[in-house]
Amino acid sequence: MDSMVTYVISAARYILPVLALWVIFRCLRSMLREKYEPEVWGYVLDGGGDKVYPLYHWENLLGRARSADVSLDDKTVSRVHGVLIRDDDGMWRLYDTFSRGGAWVNGKNAAGNGAPVRSGDTIKLSGKELVFEDISAAKRAQLEAGRTPAGRNVGPGLTLFGLTVFQAFLLLEHTVTASAEYAASIILGFLALILIEWFCYFAMRSVRRNGFEVEILAFFLTTLGLSVVASSAPAEMFKQVVLIIAGVVMFFIMGWWLRDLGRTKKIRLAVAVLALLFLVLNLAISKVTNGSKNWISIGGFSLQPSELVKVAYIYVGAATLDRLFRTRNLIVFIAFSAICVVALALMGDFGTALIFFATFLVISFMRSGSIATVALAVTGAGLAGFLVLSIKPYIAQRFATWGHAWDDVYGAGYQQTRAMSAAASGGLFGKGAGAGWLKGVVAANTDMVYGVLCEELGLIMALCAILAILVLAFFAVRSAAHGRSSYYVIAACAAVSMMMVQLGLNVFGSMDILPFTGVTFPFVSKGGTSLLSCWMLLAFIKAADTRKGASFVVKSPEKVSGEEAEDR
Amino acid sequence: MKKVTRRAISALLVAALVIAGSVFYCWKYLKDGASWASYFGNENVSGTSSLTDRNGITLVSETGGKVTFSEDEATRKACYQTVGDMSGNIGTGALTQFAGRLAGFNYIYGTTDSKGTKVKLTLDSALCVKAYNAMNGRNGAVLVSNYKTGEILCMVSTPAQDPANPSKTPAEGTYLNKCISSALTPGSTFKLITLTAAIENVNDIYKQTFTCAGSVDVAGVKINCTGVHGNQTVEQALAHSCNCAFAKITQEVGADTMAAYAEKLGITTTHSLDGITTAAGRYDKAADGSSDLSWSGIGQYNDLVCPFSMLRLVSAIGNGGSFPEPTLLGHSEAEKETSMLSSATAGKMKDFMSYNVQYSYGTGTFPGLKMCAKSGTAEVGDGNTHAWFTGFLNDPDHPYAFVVVIENGGGGLRNAGAVANTVLQAAVKAGD
Repeated sequence: MDSMVTYVISAARYILPVLALWVIFRCLRSMLREKYEPEVWGYVLDGGGDKVYPLYHWENLLGRARSADVSLDDKTVSRVHGVLIRDDDGMWRLYDTFSRGGAWVNGKNAAGNGAPVRSGDTIKLSGKELVFEDISAAKRAQLEAGRTPAGRNVGPGLTLFGLTVFQAFLLLEHTVTASAEYAASIILGFLALILIEWFCYFAMRSVRRNGFEVEILAFFLTTLGLSVVASSAPAEMFKQVVLIIAGVVMFFIMGWWLRDLGRTKKIRLAVAVLALLFLVLNLAISKVTNGSKNWISIGGFSLQPSELVKVAYIYVGAATLDRLFRTRNLIVFIAFSAICVVALALMGDFGTALIFFATFLVISFMRSGSIATVALAVTGAGLAGFLVLSIKPYIAQRFATWGHAWDDVYGAGYQQTRAMSAAASGGLFGKGAGAGWLKGVVAANTDMVYGVLCEELGLIMALCAILAILVLAFFAVRSAAHGRSSYYVIAACAAVSMMMVQLGLNVFGSMDILPFTGVTFPFVSKGGTSLLSCWMLLAFIKAADTRKGASFVVKSPEKVSGEEAEDR
Repeated sequence: MKKVTRRAISALLVAALVIAGSVFYCWKYLKDGASWASYFGNENVSGTSSLTDRNGITLVSETGGKVTFSEDEATRKACYQTVGDMSGNIGTGALTQFAGRLAGFNYIYGTTDSKGTKVKLTLDSALCVKAYNAMNGRNGAVLVSNYKTGEILCMVSTPAQDPANPSKTPAEGTYLNKCISSALTPGSTFKLITLTAAIENVNDIYKQTFTCAGSVDVAGVKINCTGVHGNQTVEQALAHSCNCAFAKITQEVGADTMAAYAEKLGITTTHSLDGITTAAGRYDKAADGSSDLSWSGIGQYNDLVCPFSMLRLVSAIGNGGSFPEPTLLGHSEAEKETSMLSSATAGKMKDFMSYNVQYSYGTGTFPGLKMCAKSGTAEVGDGNTHAWFTGFLNDPDHPYAFVVVIENGGGGLRNAGAVANTVLQAAVKAGD
């Protein structure tokens, strides 16, 4: 019997990476096999119906530009002439985007706050006359029936079952290495995680939502995180499970809130102010830990406000199409970003400042489409960076160590050299969950978590963790093409970019390929606030997924068609 | 919307960077993983790792980060470049190259042995000390291997230093293992390559008579010989190391074939000594009919040869055409021999080299050794000459191949030949 157990456990080392790859590839395949089946929200008719432009989004750009959603071949029309926007209640509005010839709806000028558009109204762009037609409920139902529901090609239930088997084998490995004192709490922790994920799955099914790839990838990463905790800090298993539950709850709350674009937009300013207050509060009352000042303790709970500000930053940074083309500059957003980055720099949290900056680049490019803006920002940041390096010796030292970790194994290179050494020890399959030694080094389960993954679960599993985030990113980019609002598209792309930058700094920093900045690996690093913020960011990705019956964050078209449309 | 969705590419750009970084990491893991794993802070390797010679004499050991070299100073110096030092000054040293083995590391399973590992080299440290002493302060390289097994018994490069007490300003060339990492003007030892090419490509080579009047004119340039050798067979031409004869033979072989043989015999290519890349030599193809071509066949012109490549050539001749690659770690039975020459050619070359020793050097120079060899006195331009002596023992009980080079060491036979004799006498004694 004992030898049987030994066999299973030594086999687990090879079974785990196979299962992990299988789960990730099912998520990837599910995404790649979806056909492009856009939603249709209305039509723009040209020449009395000779030419019909379907409106695939809630926000549509009208103009002569080939990249306009309604691309009009008419000399009098400006390249970017106006935007036609639908709100949550099915009300349409036309906004003039500083066109040369002006825009009108039934003779009413659409400059400034725009003009409402109803089915049958005439839209006049300079000399060009078009007719807007809302989609009828019958037509919509017919179109909806033709779309493939999510999960049709690759069933999410089976993928989740695969993940559960993965978790079972991982738990088995832990039961061998864990000390008797903690074995029970580790087993309970894993069982709780399995319960949570299946609860989420059935909760989604109950509201007829079947797109579960994003959640599975997040649960996969969370599993790795739980394994790291079981190995490095088994006494905190319970706390970690509570945090996972809190993260999932925040994911649902955030997702539910994002369902309504109107209310989402309404509180943007409030969120911005709150975020800045958080940072100020942080600067004012936090103590210096490990050279940076990014923790605050409230009643025994320590909190990293900068993690929550990350979510707020994307919430504030994303924008709808009318804003994009009516407010030509990014000054307000740039100012907000600058304050965030400076505050983080003052805290000495160089890594997070870098993450904000990279996310800023993605958001500002997506909003402006201007390489010049991005180039300008990079130049500015470069100058600011020099300033920071000259006044913060702590950061300058990290730069000096970069690429020379092995020159100073007892000093500045202490953590990186241990992480690299342990990572190499793991080979492709690892020494087994809980069987490493790196976990005992300071910050191993946060800043050097990649080293722990490599050592205990092997290089393949560590690469799977990176792959899972990359698949999330591909998913967000692919969803972008079908997004209802540019707000969701920008937020989703910014969220995945933020995760990837964070991952890059964590992985390559601990392996001495980039300066070691001490940031967390999304979902995997132990750390409460970081886990919460990752689950919240995930809601942004869900908000861009408009596949039929896929995402609880996206209302089904029947629900948002609005009775008004039929009333009219 | 289309405008915005197209800009989603920016997220893919970030993804591309992450992918590039991951690929770079994997490459670094393959390149440096062994040395990361062998870091003494790695608790997966907690026991004592040691590197020993073939007789179990410890060359260096490491326990919990504490490195101890051999107790004997002469051994430390004689094996300096082969073993390497604490600072990693010698990139080809075993401490660097076999770090992964010492840590019990491989790429698939990581570190597999937590008790520490013993790596045994084929080297005979006592023989290395003999060679080091025979060099007597002169700079150069001594290589001895068993051509039947490929095992390298002696690998000494001078100048060397004591790794337990390293100098801050060591003599030039201290950090270089000249046996594998240098390429030197070969002089007359290159005639072995020219002759091999001639045997296989010049039909009437055995019927020809080569006349030497002390010098010969090639394309208006006078090529001097070491003496006036009169009429000779090709066998005698090698024994006389006659420049006049080889100037002619080289022209008969032709520039293309000469260059092809320099490559085929492994002179101009790099080789792998248990994963350590050795230095490539050089053979510049001169125009047919030119004096440069003749000089290139005599081992002058731009010719350069790495001692390791020369060891492979004489191993091939000694072992009948094919040979196990020289190794410091030993071979498994499954490994195939490298085939370099036909057995006919190898047999012919063996006869020539044996005749050379009997006729020119005298067997009394190497008492008791069944010596087949060729000397070289390579002119290096500043009036100095590198002394070369290379060959093998035609003795199934003592199948040793060897290369000795002394930089600026004067005549080949007199200087390098003497070192070879000393080291081989010791090797034969140790092998009995």
